[in-house]
Amino acid sequence: MSTVPRKGIKATKPLVPEPATIIDVIVETPSIRSFRLVFDDPGIMKEFSFAPGQIGLMGIPGVGESTFAISSPPSRRDYIQFSVMKTGFVTSAIHELKAGDAVALRAPLGCGFPVDNWKGKNILIAGGGIGMAPLRSLLLYILDHRHQFGDISVFYGARTPADLCFVGDRAHWEEREDIAFIATIDSGQPGWDGRTGVLPRVMEAGRPPAENTVAVICGPPVMIGYALAALARLGFAEGQIFTTLERKMKCGIGLCGRCNVGSKYVCTDGPVFSLADLGNEI
Amino acid sequence: MRFIPEENITALLLRLSENATVWAPQVVRDTVNTVLFAPWREGAEIETGLYSALPVKGLVLPATERLFSFRYHRAGEREKIEIEVDELRERAAVFAARACDAKALVTLDALFLDGSGRSYNDQHYRARRGALTVITLACTSCDSACFCSSFEDGAAATAGSDLIFYPVSGGFLAEAVSATGRELAALDLFQESNLEKPPLAETAKVELARLGQRLLDKFDDIDFWRRTAEGCLSCGYCSYACPACHCFNIFDEMESDRAGGRYRCWDACMFYAYTLESSGHNPRPEAAHRYRNRLAHKFSYFPLNRGEFLCTGCGRCIRGCPAGRDVRDVIKALGAG
Amino acid sequence: MEELIPIIKKALEQVDVVLGWAQSPAAGVAVPAFFHTPAEADAAVFDSTCAHNLAVYLPRLADKKVGIVAKGCDARSIAQLIAEGAVKRSGVFVIGASCPGMIDVKKAWRCFGFGKQVCDAAGKVAMEGKTVAREEILLWKCRGCRDPEPVICDVTVGEASSEAPAPPAEPAGIRKRFAAMTVAERRQFWQDQFSRCIRCYACREACPLCVCRDVCTIQAHEPGWAGAAVDSPQSWMAQLIRVNHLAGRCTGCEECERACPVGIPLMLLLEEQNDVVEELFGYRAGGEAKPPFLTFDIKNDTWDEER
Repeated sequence: MSTVPRKGIKATKPLVPEPATIIDVIVETPSIRSFRLVFDDPGIMKEFSFAPGQIGLMGIPGVGESTFAISSPPSRRDYIQFSVMKTGFVTSAIHELKAGDAVALRAPLGCGFPVDNWKGKNILIAGGGIGMAPLRSLLLYILDHRHQFGDISVFYGARTPADLCFVGDRAHWEEREDIAFIATIDSGQPGWDGRTGVLPRVMEAGRPPAENTVAVICGPPVMIGYALAALARLGFAEGQIFTTLERKMKCGIGLCGRCNVGSKYVCTDGPVFSLADLGNEI
Repeated sequence: MRFIPEENITALLLRLSENATVWAPQVVRDTVNTVLFAPWREGAEIETGLYSALPVKGLVLPATERLFSFRYHRAGEREKIEIEVDELRERAAVFAARACDAKALVTLDALFLDGSGRSYNDQHYRARRGALTVITLACTSCDSACFCSSFEDGAAATAGSDLIFYPVSGGFLAEAVSATGRELAALDLFQESNLEKPPLAETAKVELARLGQRLLDKFDDIDFWRRTAEGCLSCGYCSYACPACHCFNIFDEMESDRAGGRYRCWDACMFYAYTLESSGHNPRPEAAHRYRNRLAHKFSYFPLNRGEFLCTGCGRCIRGCPAGRDVRDVIKALGAG
Repeated sequence: MEELIPIIKKALEQVDVVLGWAQSPAAGVAVPAFFHTPAEADAAVFDSTCAHNLAVYLPRLADKKVGIVAKGCDARSIAQLIAEGAVKRSGVFVIGASCPGMIDVKKAWRCFGFGKQVCDAAGKVAMEGKTVAREEILLWKCRGCRDPEPVICDVTVGEASSEAPAPPAEPAGIRKRFAAMTVAERRQFWQDQFSRCIRCYACREACPLCVCRDVCTIQAHEPGWAGAAVDSPQSWMAQLIRVNHLAGRCTGCEECERACPVGIPLMLLLEEQNDVVEELFGYRAGGEAKPPFLTFDIKNDTWDEER
């Protein structure tokens, strides 16, 4: 796995965030909003670089911080986007924020997708619900470097049409001829003329070839379980399957102790892991 | 070797007190021999025979510390946050630390002070550690909870100390380990001596051979862990009393309408809330999962990642466990090396 | 108490596990033990180092049928847990053990060193030339014990003790000093005491009646009654919340104080509150009387600790 240098973090003050300002809020679904923000210090913004799959701890001083995957691509230099699902104390407070509000950010953290090792390979992307956030960053990166990769197929599933994020992107991805993009919802809904069926089944029905392909999956634990089983049936080996994990985190730098999966820390060794890295510890 | 007569100890502590707070083990008033490291003042009795309930790690990793202050202010249409990190200046010295505690400081150093890029150079830790002088009192006796002899050097460990005192007739032989220690030992309170170092304590031992692998072999046997953890109350004492445990939580406090602080405080992997996610999902829901992770971290993951055990055999987790659990029983139950 | 072992073995015919004590070779005292099989039960012991209140494990084992060796005071905790619906009466088999009075071995170890045999039959406590008054390490509740007989019991073991420790003539030690303090002095006293608190929550985890445990309000983000900081005001506040939640529920078993690794005299708070409850309502928790105020739905017999 490639180790992505953690450029944004000052080595001596890893727990001290940088002030940033929200410049735009996009209401994606009833429970998901995307926040675009810029560091207040233009120097830091200019230097900021990351790999798709890397994470950040965004917070509101006085409320707390939470970990999110960066959902914008590295080529996006004018803002950093996080897509946030409202689940708890901190994310509820973040959902109240609007353009012009202040946040504090520690990013980028962790290791992103080893995209340099994937050159020349076919990429299969399967995202469920909010799990599409890091995969959006990856997909946009791939589209920025389209010639480096083989066939690209993307499956994006959610419970209902209203739960599908990234409306504008989706229209664009569906139109493109150099990728195969399929959005699916769990069961039929009036007004939805797209695919229906849970994502692992739709993906398996597409019969993506395992040869020379990397599969990247991210989503709720149940989906991951079924998707892994489907990929195994399709002939994918553990080393070909990548996912990004989510755990409760406080420090983001491998010290506070709680995000470990076996001997590995999701915050520093991950959040991107190949199934071969995780073994049976998932 | 240098020697300090017993009657000079007070003068030494007073000398140290001139520019540092001196922490020494003392019996807490109103308690039946509860010993804690506390600021020493002239006349206070130092308790070196009994074991302190807490290690000295609090001097470098306090139970709660302010990471930074923040303040909101209005800049035109926008809300801005100002963040300010306090500089720590206070010096501290610890007197009569035990070798197992001092040794664990080096383990913590590797995590919080590592310049290699594998870890972060923690500003607060660095400030406290750099301002700390450690005078260790070598153990010539031990109790049956001690098991430091299981590990390299045992009671003779010098790592983490600046100066080590060995009790001998009439005073202490003083062995300088660092430049700070050499400076102290050069003081006129010390003299030259050709006395021999006393024999140090030999404690009980645990079988550490292949321990990490033995533990992983049992990892999926959840019934084993349920049996192992069934008496455990899932409190945080063993973590807080451990000189090497370093897990922490981060939280914010508003201290006025527009300003507050972010804090780091000790946290313990035995707490249910430690890994509880806001969705309600908890990857380690049972005490058995948490106990397994706690031991695996100490004896398998940490050695794998860092090449050393996250344990120095101080025995506090055994001495102070409200449910009488003994980690050595678990190591034994994991089978022979 | 040799007759205990066959009683435990007999109990194992009808329960999944029996909670008792076994000798810890390293510690030289009895520690809580879970006996699943008759063979394991051969290790059972009962002596004056069995201070732990094993009722603490019952709510965690609510899905099992559990036998439990209980002292008179422990039985009060079991009765209270049953009254609150945290434990089913039909789910516990209580082996009432006659109690010689318990010492706090941790206090003894602090005097003599861990693992030393500190308590002899005659009640003298001495080791290597050091002595300590037995009263100092005897649990306070044992002096003038009010519950030599278990309030709830399926079988008894041992002769009732003929020499129950004498009741204290008047508050001694810290209690005497505390009783004489003004309100301002008490405030300072508690501030000093809680400056040592490390918030390890051993007090809560060792308390049989602190049934919320994993979802305890003093660790909760919301409503945030107590801050998370390990400092005297926050730790004191957190403890006061815990104490207040035990009003009319605390049976005075002293486990919180025994578990406290830094020696905070928590029972001063709980004794005061228990006295007030008894004075106002004529009620002691863990008896047969119906609780005067119910903070729990006793009709709900499916108490879910994990929620």
